[in-house]
Amino acid sequence: MTSLRTRALAGGVLWGLITIVLGLVGLASYLNSQSDARFDALLQTRHTQALVAVANNATFPDSLGRAIGDPIYQRPFSGQYWQIQSADGQLFVSPSLVDTLLPQADPAQTDLVRRDVAGPADDLVLSISQWLTLDDGSRWHVQVASSYDALDQETALLRRSLFSAFGIVSIIGLIGALALVRAVLRPLDALRAEVAARWEHEDGLDPQDYPIEVAPLVTDINSLLERNRETLRSSRRQAADLAHAIKTPSAIMRNELSRLESEGLAVGDAVEALDRLDAQLKRSFARMRADGTDASISTFTDLDDALGRMQRAFTALARNSDKVFAADVTPDLRVRMDKSDLEEVIGNLLDNALKWSRGRFEMSATLTDEPAILMCIEDDGDGIPDGDLGLATLGGQRLDSSKPGTGLGLAIASDLIHAYGGTIHLARSKKLGGLAAYVRLPVPGGPKLDMSESSLGAAPEKPA
Amino acid sequence: MRILIAEDEPALATQIKNVLMSDGLAVDVAPDGGEALFLAETEPYDMMILDIGLPVKDGITVLKNMRAGGVETPVLILTARNDWTDRVDGLDAGADDYVTKPFHMAELSARVRAMIRRNAGKANPVFEKNDVSFDSRTNQVMLRSIPINLTAQEVAVLSYLFHNSGRLVSRTELSQHIYQYDGDRDSNTIAVFVNRLRKKLGGDLIETVRGRGYVIKAAA
Repeated sequence: MTSLRTRALAGGVLWGLITIVLGLVGLASYLNSQSDARFDALLQTRHTQALVAVANNATFPDSLGRAIGDPIYQRPFSGQYWQIQSADGQLFVSPSLVDTLLPQADPAQTDLVRRDVAGPADDLVLSISQWLTLDDGSRWHVQVASSYDALDQETALLRRSLFSAFGIVSIIGLIGALALVRAVLRPLDALRAEVAARWEHEDGLDPQDYPIEVAPLVTDINSLLERNRETLRSSRRQAADLAHAIKTPSAIMRNELSRLESEGLAVGDAVEALDRLDAQLKRSFARMRADGTDASISTFTDLDDALGRMQRAFTALARNSDKVFAADVTPDLRVRMDKSDLEEVIGNLLDNALKWSRGRFEMSATLTDEPAILMCIEDDGDGIPDGDLGLATLGGQRLDSSKPGTGLGLAIASDLIHAYGGTIHLARSKKLGGLAAYVRLPVPGGPKLDMSESSLGAAPEKPA
Repeated sequence: MRILIAEDEPALATQIKNVLMSDGLAVDVAPDGGEALFLAETEPYDMMILDIGLPVKDGITVLKNMRAGGVETPVLILTARNDWTDRVDGLDAGADDYVTKPFHMAELSARVRAMIRRNAGKANPVFEKNDVSFDSRTNQVMLRSIPINLTAQEVAVLSYLFHNSGRLVSRTELSQHIYQYDGDRDSNTIAVFVNRLRKKLGGDLIETVRGRGYVIKAAA
């Protein structure tokens, strides 16, 4: 769907364009009519001037040129012309006509005639003409004409001025529209940023921090966030309760079968079926967890806290197995992943490392230049043959059945890591010689990680 | 050795109890978190099996209260939940190990014995003194490499003294660690068990410190 910013901007620009075009057309039309009227009035004035000149100089018609003394009539093809004709056909013309003439007078004409006629050099002119009868009975046809060129030039100049003015107005309007859109949408931008930043906090957003139009949306978002959290909590609680409800009877059945077996009864098929049931349950619960993960929600986990807990827990477990566990975690790192999901990933990887190490396993976490969080869990065990590395993250692939397990640990970790847009890469540990699991996860507010083959196919380099 | 099982599912609690008792351990069962905490704080257990999903008080709360009250009994948590958060919660609260349901009883039994041995500071599961050896994994007792049959109570006394070798153990302490909560705790019968052990394993294995108790010195 089109964004609000685009909609507001497009709407503002469209409305501005309509306003400007209508204004331009209206104003241009008004100014054109004003120019036409002024042109007409000026010609009318010139005609009146010619009439007065004829009335005063009928006795000496040769002096008409001096009597109609406007210098513009002296310049050849100046666009302003007059032509006076006596009843007997004698013609007196302005010098501006040079050797051309305006149309001859129609003896039958009685009233004042205003018409477009061909002027000098095929120039279209507006002509006003009228027969004038003086007190001495003589009749004179008085005609003045004005070229449309001047009017056209004036109109063109006016149009240019109008376009320039409206262009400037348009630019100012567009900048104003942009600023307005930005100002109007600022609360929504702030809301988006705050929703992303505060997701993991339970206190929600304060509607009073937002304009009254946005406040109901903020209230709805608060409700939605809380409902999402509760749904996630509830589904995980139900899965945990279901696991508890199923696994305890499963443990009882397993122990009964074990007792019957010790008494010599053949219960191998039942034990095998129970093993399959337990493995399927574990896989299903892991799938429910991965499916219930909403990585689109901006959440983050403090590694000091989460990995600190894992470090203390696995230090105790390592001690039970007479093994050594070491952790090197750069302080103040945060990763864009739910805490319990991160603990599930690291728990499974560390559990594998504990199980398969000979005497030592390690965990490290650093920030890369990407930026991304790079965690490495490695051990001094036999590792996985290069050809089987790709199989290890597939569910149920027990590459070595010499120790108990379902072969799901790496698959569960892999599912969760991918759900959060991260990567897991298995390789031989350069430091300890066993398996090294490299986990890349995005940082809060960071870019999506490069998922190209080249980035997945090689062991990431740990920053020094 | 005396164990407390905190498990609300009676059938499972009984199964675990039967297996551990067959291993020569004295076992008490608490069906909820409240009773588990009470027993843990008032009875001297050698280790505790604690289900996380207990009624009244959940396992994590019981464990935190125990540690806050200064009870250092080793704890193995039982969890039916899949997520690591529960296990890490338990370990972070002071548990020493965990087992997830469903589990193999043999694995649980081995973990229990290993925890008891580690808590006693013994690395080797086979204890030896003079010509006597005691394998804590199987309760097998040998005298000059010949298996010796002992009663369950005799094994319990011998196991406790071997696990605490080098330290004087009073009759009262012995009776507290070989009898379960509802057992008949007659400390005088301890002397009877010790005498029988001396007859079967030689008189110089267990030394008596008159009026104070017994000790197995310098066991390997």
